[in-house]
Parts: sequence; structure tokens; C-alpha cells
Amino acid sequence: MNIRQAVKMAWKSIVGKKGRSILTMLGVIIGIAAVMTIVATMNGYTVKTMEQYSAMGSNKINVNIYNYVYVEDANGNIVSAGKDYFPDLYDYCKSLSEYVVGVTPEAYVSATVVYGTKNSDNFQWDWETQTGQRRPEIYYGSDQYSICNNLTVMKGRDISELDVERYNQVCVMGSRAAETFFGAADPVGKVIQLNGQSFTVVGVYAPRLTGADAQTSFIDNIIILPYTARRVLGGETMENFIVKAKDSESVKEATARIQSFLNGLVDQSTGGSWVSSDDRWQQSMNEQMAMISLVLGGIAAISLLVGGIGIMNIMLVTVTERTREIGIRRAIGAQRSSIVTQFLIEAAMLCGIGGIIGILLGTGGSLLAGKLLFQMTIYPAAWITGSAFSLSVALGVIFGIYPAAKAAKLQPVEALRAE
Amino acid sequence: MAHLVELRDVYKIYGEGLESEVRALDGVSLAVDPGEFLAIVGQSGSGKSTMMNVLGCLDIPTRGDYLLDGTDVRELTDKELSLIRNKQIGFIFQQYNLIQSLTVLENVELPLIYQGINADDRYDLAMEALERVGLSGRVKHRPTEMSGGQQQRVAIARAIATHPPIIMADEPTGALDSRTGQEVLQFLQQLNKEGSTIILITHDNGIAATARRCVRLQDGKIVEDREQEVDWL
Repeated sequence: MNIRQAVKMAWKSIVGKKGRSILTMLGVIIGIAAVMTIVATMNGYTVKTMEQYSAMGSNKINVNIYNYVYVEDANGNIVSAGKDYFPDLYDYCKSLSEYVVGVTPEAYVSATVVYGTKNSDNFQWDWETQTGQRRPEIYYGSDQYSICNNLTVMKGRDISELDVERYNQVCVMGSRAAETFFGAADPVGKVIQLNGQSFTVVGVYAPRLTGADAQTSFIDNIIILPYTARRVLGGETMENFIVKAKDSESVKEATARIQSFLNGLVDQSTGGSWVSSDDRWQQSMNEQMAMISLVLGGIAAISLLVGGIGIMNIMLVTVTERTREIGIRRAIGAQRSSIVTQFLIEAAMLCGIGGIIGILLGTGGSLLAGKLLFQMTIYPAAWITGSAFSLSVALGVIFGIYPAAKAAKLQPVEALRAE
Repeated sequence: MAHLVELRDVYKIYGEGLESEVRALDGVSLAVDPGEFLAIVGQSGSGKSTMMNVLGCLDIPTRGDYLLDGTDVRELTDKELSLIRNKQIGFIFQQYNLIQSLTVLENVELPLIYQGINADDRYDLAMEALERVGLSGRVKHRPTEMSGGQQQRVAIARAIATHPPIIMADEPTGALDSRTGQEVLQFLQQLNKEGSTIILITHDNGIAATARRCVRLQDGKIVEDREQEVDWL
């Protein structure tokens, strides 16, 4: 007996008892649909997170140079006042052009921004309704701040090396900050006051996020100043820097080289340094995702197991019901292997059809989950669909083995006697 | 001439050694030559059904040799027994034993499927058999849509579709009225004339009278084995 015949027989038997077949498949249908929806949702979450992550820029290396030298400032606050290592780091990174495309400090500046009647001290932001005006975040940067943070100039120009060298009081605004202060007007050439100091806006960065995400995210609500503006605006010694590696392969090499450079540079008795690539964040997210996947996957696996047991149960009933048929088949020459094949294929087919229905439902579930949770269209990947189908067929084969073996073990004489 | 079927001192004992031991076959020896028309007669409980099961390779004797075409059946594997049932023997049962979920044609094709014959040849062989029993016009029907006589004819078609040398009929007329029963017997005689060896199992002396050779079983033993004159129906 060939497979085609067995498939035909199995199909007849399944179609012959439609109601029962569908009820039997239900376990597999629900299991497969659940697995697919879960996987698609997890994928959607990962894609979404990666999108935001890459908007901030990937291949970043965080450099932290700290020191234990503190002084009391004019207001009586204790502030760190160690050596400023950035110029050395800047020069070293320039020499590492094979691996590094940019380096910048990242130091938050606490300053009041005033333009015309607008004063950032008066800005109110209502977290609940997500409305109002939010204070822009001001950072010191080098001329490579934009490269390191995935920013591109939309209007005017970027901060230049000359701006840094000459202590120019200029700034480049993020798109959202520019909108806050200037609305539709062109900010380039306008002068804003930072803690009473005049800074000329020389450019505006293009938004990093668009659409609905831009409304809830503030990564474009920034103002970047050349770090040499510290001369007028003050601030502690800069400790945090960002190095942008050329590509993901360069991250490791650049991290190692910068670390060994800083080990030689920083006076270990008064401070230290720490270099780490940004993918730690990604790693911990992956670990988290793996954990959630494991739990959800376990639940889905249990539902599939229950579905499989349902299949086995029905196949056992089918074998009992068809004992006489098995006897007849054996009497006219069916070998044990033919009987096993027949019932295995029937179980596999039952599960396979259930799997296909489950895949269709799971695709619908994925689309729905994507729409509701992430406002995006998630189609299950081909490999997910493929493995869902293979899984359901395998389920049928595994849980069909026992009933099929039971059918084949029947003695022809006894089977023929059954009613 | 070698015997086609030969039983040598065959026993079939259920629950051997127990007090409730049943000797369904109690030292039976029998030889059947090709082309014979043999009736095995006996009352209920005489062991004739066990005899049929043993002769048909559906059951294995407890002791004794069964040579089928010179091969010792007791030494065959389940697979080889299946092959013998498939190719050497055509079964006709009292209850027809058709598979209800299959059509007439599919039922007749079934033994050919297990032989691995391709679809075209299978169809030709099955249709040829159905034509012989006069049912080639009803191949798409289900067994349940047919009368008992027609169902038995389908069963006969299934038995002869593989052109087996031996036809075994176990009370083939038992569920039929006398007229359709006669038709079935006539058909068996026709097959016998064409060279098939027929083994007919029955409790009815009248039916046994249509066979040239009559073997009578009683309590698992052969008590009579005689040639008889047959008035061809």
C-alpha cells in the first residue's frame, strides 16, 4: 500500500466523521493558534524595542572616566574637579578611525532656556494627559555628538570643531525643542538665553522618531552645546562619554583598545575608567525576552500536549470502533505495517488539518495583537508558520503511534469476530 | 502431484493444560489437490470455523504441520502470512465483511491496493471481477445501499479480483435466501470449472451436496471424507 492510498483512506475517514474530527482538532487548533500569537507578539515587542533602540543609535560604546578629586564650589556644593580627559580621548579616537567614527561627551546641563516670552522654568508637562510643554534636555557635546547619537542636521549646520576650539556660544536644537520655542519659524540665526548667556541657534536636527511614537517620546526634545561652553555655563568635570564604533564588528576591538588606552592615561590613584559597549542593554533585554518566551512557550506546550492526548484518545476509540474493518483488511492481505501507516497518517492528517486552521487563526491573532499592542502589522514569519505546521503533524504522529500499534497488534481472527 | 493444501495431524487447542481445555481441531489430517471442490461440513462447535481460519492462514495451529503449496505455514512471519492471504486465498464470508465506508469499487480494489498494483491496472482488474458478478453498473454504491445477495456478489468479486488459486467460502449462503444462495453456489462451481480450488464451509448437508468431495467434522475430528456425485445445478 502506498502513501497516496493511505492519505486517501485517512481523508475519507476524517471527512466521514466531520463533527468528531473538528472537536478532536480543537485542542491542536487552540494550541497552534496560541503559540503563533505568542511568538508574533514577542517578535513585535522585540522589533519595536529595537526600533527605539536604533533610533538612539547602535554600536555605541559608553566610556566613563571618574575621579575622586572634589572641591567646594562658590555655592558651597561639593563638586568633582578632576582632570578633564576628553581632549586626550578625542585625539585617541581620531587615531582609531579604523574602528571609531565619533566621540562626544554626554553631560547634562542644568540651565533655564529663555527665548522671547518663553521661559523653560514656566513649562508644565502633564504626565497623565501627555500634554503641555516639556523642558528641553540640554547636553554638552563635541562636533561629533550628532554622529554618536544618530542625529542628522535638518536645517542650518552642525556644531563644528572650530565652535569647540573657539568657545563659540552656539547651539543646535532637536526638532521638538525647536518647535517648542520657535513653532513654525526658522530658528537658525536666532539667539536664545541659557542661564542668561546668549547662544546662537546654528542648526536643527531632524526628528529621530516619527508618527505616534514621536508624540510620546522626548528623544528629540534636546539642545546641544559645544562642551567648551562649560567656561560660561559651568558644571562638574565631564565623566561620561560616548564613542560610536564604525560597525557592530568594530565594537569589541574599539572597546578593548580604548580601555587599555585609558588604563594608561588615567591616574589610578585619583580615579579610574570603565568602558562598556551598549549591547549589554540589548543582552539583558534578550535575557528577559527569553524568560518570558520560556514561560509562555511552556503554557503553549501544555495546551498542545493536552491537544495531543485528545488525538490519542479519539484514535483509540476509532481503532476500537473499526476493529472489524481492521480484521477484514488483515484477512484480505493488509500487513501490520499497512495498518500502522493507515492510522498514523489518519492521526497526522487530523493534526495537520488542525494545524492549518490553527495557523490561520494564529495569523489573525498576530495581526490583532500587533494592531492593538504595537500599532503595527505583524505577519507570522514563514519559519514560524512552517514549524507550527510541522509541529502539529509531528504531534499527530507521536500521539498516533500507540493507537496505531494497538490496531496492528490485533489478531485477524479476533478482529473479524468483533461486531 | 503435490498437494495444494495439506494438514498433517493438526491440533488447535484453546487453554491447553487447563481443565477448560477446548480441542477445536483434534488431530486433523487432510490433503486438497488443485482444482478440487471441497465442502467441510459440521455442526456448530464441530471445529469447522477453526479449520477455515487455519486453512486461510488467519490462525496458526497449536501443533501439527500445515503445508500450503509445499510451504510450512507455521514457520512464516506475520508479513508472509499476510502476503499468502493476499495472493493465494480469496475469502468469502457469511456476513460479506465489506467495509461500509468504502464504495463497491473501492472494496473490490482493496486487496489489489495491498498488492501494490497501480491505479489503472487495479481499476481494470476490479471492474473485470465486478463484471463477472454482474455488478459493473453499481460500482459507486455503498454496500449498505445494496441487497444481501448483491453484497455477497461484491464480496465474491473482491475474492476473485486477485485471481487467487484458492477460494475459501465460510457459510457463503448463510445470510441469503435460497434463490440468491443458489446463484452464489453456481458461481462457485463455475469458478471451480475454470480451475480454482474451492473450499466451502457449511453446516448444511444440502449445500455440502453441491461439492464433489465432502469432509465431515465432529468434535474437531474428521469423521467422514468421501467423493460424491454432484448434479450440477
